[in-house]
Amino acid sequence: MHAAQLRSQVKRLIVAELNLKGRDPETIEDDAPLFGEGLRLDSLDALQLAVAVEEQLGVRLPDGDEARSVFRSVRAIADYVERARRA
Amino acid sequence: MSAGVRVTGLGLVTPLAVGVEATWTRLVRGDRAIRPVTLFDVAGQRVKLAGQVDCARLPGAGVEVATGWSRTGAMAVAAAREAMSMAGLDASRVRVGLVVGGTTGGMFETEQLLARLHAEPEARQALVEMLSHPLTATADRLQEQLGPFSRVRTLASACSSGANAIVVGAGWLLAGEVDAVVVGGSDGLCRLTLTGFNALAALDPEPCRPFDRRRRGASLGEGAGFLVLERADGARARGSQPVAELAGWALGSEAHHITNPAPDGAVVAALIARAVARAGLTPADIDYVNAHGTGTLLNDSAEAAALGLALGNEARRIPVSSSKGQIGHTLGAAGAIEAVITALVVARGTLVPTAGLDEPDPALPLVHVPHVGREVGRVRAALSNAFGFGGMDTVLVLTEPQPSRERGAAVSRPASPLPVITGVSVFGCCGLLGAEECAELPTRKIALDALTEPDSHLDPARARRLDRPARLGAVAVQRALAESGAPAAGAGLVLGSAFGNVDGSASFMHRVFDKGPRLASPAEFPNLVPSSPVGHVSIYLGLRGPAFATADFDQSGESAFVQAAQLVAAGEGDCVVAGALEPKSGIVERVLSVLFGHGASQGAAARTDLAVAIVLEGAAAARRRGARALARVGQAIEWRGDDGPALASLRKPRSPGSELVLARADDSVRVLVERTPWREQARVACAPGLGESDGLGAVAIAVAAARIDAGLTGEVLVVGLAPGRGYAIVLEAP
Repeated sequence: MHAAQLRSQVKRLIVAELNLKGRDPETIEDDAPLFGEGLRLDSLDALQLAVAVEEQLGVRLPDGDEARSVFRSVRAIADYVERARRA
Repeated sequence: MSAGVRVTGLGLVTPLAVGVEATWTRLVRGDRAIRPVTLFDVAGQRVKLAGQVDCARLPGAGVEVATGWSRTGAMAVAAAREAMSMAGLDASRVRVGLVVGGTTGGMFETEQLLARLHAEPEARQALVEMLSHPLTATADRLQEQLGPFSRVRTLASACSSGANAIVVGAGWLLAGEVDAVVVGGSDGLCRLTLTGFNALAALDPEPCRPFDRRRRGASLGEGAGFLVLERADGARARGSQPVAELAGWALGSEAHHITNPAPDGAVVAALIARAVARAGLTPADIDYVNAHGTGTLLNDSAEAAALGLALGNEARRIPVSSSKGQIGHTLGAAGAIEAVITALVVARGTLVPTAGLDEPDPALPLVHVPHVGREVGRVRAALSNAFGFGGMDTVLVLTEPQPSRERGAAVSRPASPLPVITGVSVFGCCGLLGAEECAELPTRKIALDALTEPDSHLDPARARRLDRPARLGAVAVQRALAESGAPAAGAGLVLGSAFGNVDGSASFMHRVFDKGPRLASPAEFPNLVPSSPVGHVSIYLGLRGPAFATADFDQSGESAFVQAAQLVAAGEGDCVVAGALEPKSGIVERVLSVLFGHGASQGAAARTDLAVAIVLEGAAAARRRGARALARVGQAIEWRGDDGPALASLRKPRSPGSELVLARADDSVRVLVERTPWREQARVACAPGLGESDGLGAVAIAVAAARIDAGLTGEVLVVGLAPGRGYAIVLEAP
């Protein structure tokens, strides 16, 4: 899958899973921070997102400290999924 | 001055042992009971450990299993029986109340039915039994085994349920409604909670290590804890020996987050300060804290912050421990089990330890009791903390029994008699109604198939975590508060619900059966506790007062209303919103249609989404802010078993225009009213157009207040009645 397509898929997944009603997925920037600032997601969202990525994209995201860097942005999640699929 | 409530009986069932003495010995020794779960299949669970109770060792276990008790019910009966036997309390001799806290009730048994229905969706017997273990089943079991209790309450505030049961019971005692109360909590392990806490990544892969720098989460447990409480005058009259005194308490809400505690601990600190002050003490008098201490990173640091804020320099002296490293987190029972443990610490002058605390976290400036108990000779006063999902926090203060005062600790005058109603709202297929429209509900034409659409009334960004039941509740409570003008920040919230989120629990478990525990939804799990909508609404609207859910089948709304009025009268809050929340439930519909032997389409009357909110305020507080009251509470009576004494106390109608507003046309209500001075009064059905709902009792109260406000009548009696129990509420012009 094309990297941009995968990022779009991650964005749609964020909007649907975290119930960000009315938010156009394409307005989420690839590199915008997801937690703390930006979308202001929190730890409960991260857990929900990890389950959704595992279920819908078939990639198990890491727990703990490694998760922090993966959840940095849409691009970081998509890159991780891409790498995991190739491995 | 101390509240003066005597603790005269204690009972425990914990993963360490059955019974107070056996549990205490193992607690002090530092034994731990957190092991691999054997109760059910844990394949696919990240963490497979918990503290499990061997129910086969409960007294009378054979009978219980044979007659279909839930494990939660069996543990409750064992613990409550022990407490009553220690107090020498016989419920047939004095007026005894029962208050039970819990979160999952018979979920373990319900899961087995769900598993059958998952494999065979039309399994008739499984469907018939689906609603046979509601939260109230524990109280019913206790009533049957240990009653007659003259009044009964089932409540839920997640992991503070057990502590709030104690607070509610103490309120009944001080108001003189009962002579003694049996109060506590019981919660059995189940797949749903293990899966859910795993989904939240909230469980430690090792047995939990509260306050340790390596701590990685909680361990679950199960069990029951019960106490007998009496006023000093009553305890003296019965010659019972107090073990300890419940000297103070405070409860409130953080309005912060559905699963995470507020990191600054400010709300908890304020509650600790209030509870200590209410006991007539200062931090210098406190010798021990039994912490909530779950072992999660967030809880333990927030709790340490709260203790530091509230106790100041004394925090460097006062030992703190958590029993959860030994018994695990027993959820709805924890507040009660740990209050029992705290009472024992005070009674015996020995501190219980924090097991697993090898390396105290240097970031938490606390005085610990690691590994084994420590005899200190005397513990004058101690705190027991309990915090629940949604930020519903409760702090108890237990002290040595205070010397008897001649007049102290008898029935106390209510802090704020006769609460007034300053706002009402009904939300459902009838639309979103305020007082003016509620007055016309008895004659209003309603399209039962009209959509109930909460989202247009809510801010989508802030409401994104709210599930449908919480959204319905938020809309009704928001409207009632807006009409009332009462400051939201000071308000408490008590919502009644007959079956809680049974559909949510079923869909969560079906997903687990389909996809395995790893793919369980972390965001859905916190919505499955019966108190979840209360938590969500308090967070959404910023309500910081006392908050919990009550359950009493189709009178859950009445129970919530009466409970909220009691909280206001007892001075627990200037303003408490009461209500009912009965979302349309596919499971309730199916079960009822099977039970009544009809096809689902024409079975029991069609049910629709319904949320009701009624704002109760202390009369003085309402006057101070210049609020206009719709009505005033003249009387609020509830009973179990014999209705004679309750009906004898029901006042006479004050004018020929006084009327009855009834939830539904019901022969048993008609028969009951014939036995009262209200037999000649006009009767109004509250909302015939609304169809059937377990929340109609709350609608009747809202309609009653609205009719008084509209000048249609000056006084209304609302009666909620079911076999063996009932509520009678009189509202009058303010």
